[in-house]
Amino acid sequence: MSDDANADAGAAANTAETATATDTDEAATVSVDSLGKTYASDRRTVEALSGVEFAVADGEFVCIVGPSGCGKTTLFRIIAGLEAATTGAVTLDGSPVTGPGTDRGMVFQEYGLFPWRTVSENVAFGLEEQGVEEPARSERVTEMLELVGLDGFADAYPKELSGGMKQRVGIARALAVDPELLLMDEPFGAVDAQTRDMLHGELLDIWAETDKTVLFVTHDVEEAVTLADRVVVMAANPGRVREIVSVDIDRPRERTEGEFAEYVERIRGLIGE
Amino acid sequence: MSNDEVGAGVTLSETEADERLLDRLAGFSSEQTGLAVAGFAGFLAVWYVAALFQPTYLLPSPVEVLAAFVVELTAPASLSIPFTGVELPATRLLVKLVQSLYHYVPGLLIGTSLGVFAGVAMGWNTRVDSVFTPVTRLLRPIPPLAWIGFAVIWLGVNHQGATFIVAIGSFWINFYSAYGGVEGVSEDLKEVAATLGVGDDWTMIRKVVIPAASPSIMTGIRTSIGQCWMIVVAAELIVGVGVGYEILNTAQNLAMDVSVAYMLVISIVFLVSDGLFRRVERRVLEWRA
Repeated sequence: MSDDANADAGAAANTAETATATDTDEAATVSVDSLGKTYASDRRTVEALSGVEFAVADGEFVCIVGPSGCGKTTLFRIIAGLEAATTGAVTLDGSPVTGPGTDRGMVFQEYGLFPWRTVSENVAFGLEEQGVEEPARSERVTEMLELVGLDGFADAYPKELSGGMKQRVGIARALAVDPELLLMDEPFGAVDAQTRDMLHGELLDIWAETDKTVLFVTHDVEEAVTLADRVVVMAANPGRVREIVSVDIDRPRERTEGEFAEYVERIRGLIGE
Repeated sequence: MSNDEVGAGVTLSETEADERLLDRLAGFSSEQTGLAVAGFAGFLAVWYVAALFQPTYLLPSPVEVLAAFVVELTAPASLSIPFTGVELPATRLLVKLVQSLYHYVPGLLIGTSLGVFAGVAMGWNTRVDSVFTPVTRLLRPIPPLAWIGFAVIWLGVNHQGATFIVAIGSFWINFYSAYGGVEGVSEDLKEVAATLGVGDDWTMIRKVVIPAASPSIMTGIRTSIGQCWMIVVAAELIVGVGVGYEILNTAQNLAMDVSVAYMLVISIVFLVSDGLFRRVERRVLEWRA
């Protein structure tokens, strides 16, 4: 398959240079093909997404950024299987996404923890559904809690945790069922700046340790440049891919580096135009 | 990860819990308790003084009521166990209370289970909701006691009749609290569960919807525990057994002191059952912020 050909056919907006996308062809985990989403009500129709086209390689960390109203959350929900596309398709390892599934681990901005379950019970939820029996289940939960640095909080209820800790539980819960892809929708939007910086470092460590593919939605350009291998920049009205920027800076990335600032400027420029 | 941050979450909540406990102890031991005692003593004093100038059949004094209470509590009577023919030695008050419990407990259990079941079903499934909403709107405004005629014709002047009335009362309370609770369950939590592998309605209801709606369901159960004591008294006036009937029966014989003593019984059983359920509720909803 040729991404470039599809991209050209898919959207006029997607005329920007997408050479960086082609190197994902061999092991594309996620493939978004001429995706469109239209919301129709009695009075009018709104085109939320039009001709969205990109691929994410196995083990890659991709961020999606864009102005509000560019449909990034809609895109996220379609990839998650929580909403259906109007046109086009999302495929995961070659099979089309038709609904939610444990091959995609989801992390939400508002954490989405089950308040009546303790930390370890939250992490165990997906394992229970998969029929993982004890003691394997508890072992997996312990392993995940160690991964996110929450061992010792297994029996705490979510109400007892800070925002950063809640999101660590969210990540542990999503990873427990061993998904192909980690899908994150502005996961650190509700935590303070200091905690967010810390969580960025932890997420990159977890990513390196688990070899997961990560698709991360954010409106924060600096966050995207800090984390991503590639940044999918979206534009609004209708929501479409404006450009895909490959971030070629070694990790860990310092925000004070000139190169970092250049990337941020460039992406901001793309969003602002 | 920073230890400071980790520490913050837990220390805070522990401190909060401690403070809440201290508040409660402090509040109860000093000013609030004092005021509560004073208020209650004032009530008894006004009652006592007012009763001095009235005959007992118009207004019994607190002392007379207490005396009547003790008499009823100790006067021997025999308690017959339904369906068995067994007679047990007991006291008058105990016999009346057990008679009331015969229809209070089954009525509450039946009404609560059916109410929660119907509320969850309608709150969960929009089609079930659409089908039954008109009927519920039509039946809801009818007071439970209005069904007394049917209770008597269908079930007779006995325990079953009163049970039926109590069940209707607790059904509506629990129906609306369960319905509201289920409707209020956040879409986010259901979506999270779906992405974690929950594929069928029954699992979703069992593992997400009911726990998420449990605070509302528990409030409904607690409300019905209280309301049903009031309904039971009213139902018993007609079916002629239990504490409720005794309140009316003694009053018709102008034994107002005994009548008020039985009113006191209702207050006591209400306070005890409400207190016990509050403890259960606190344990079950321990996770709540």
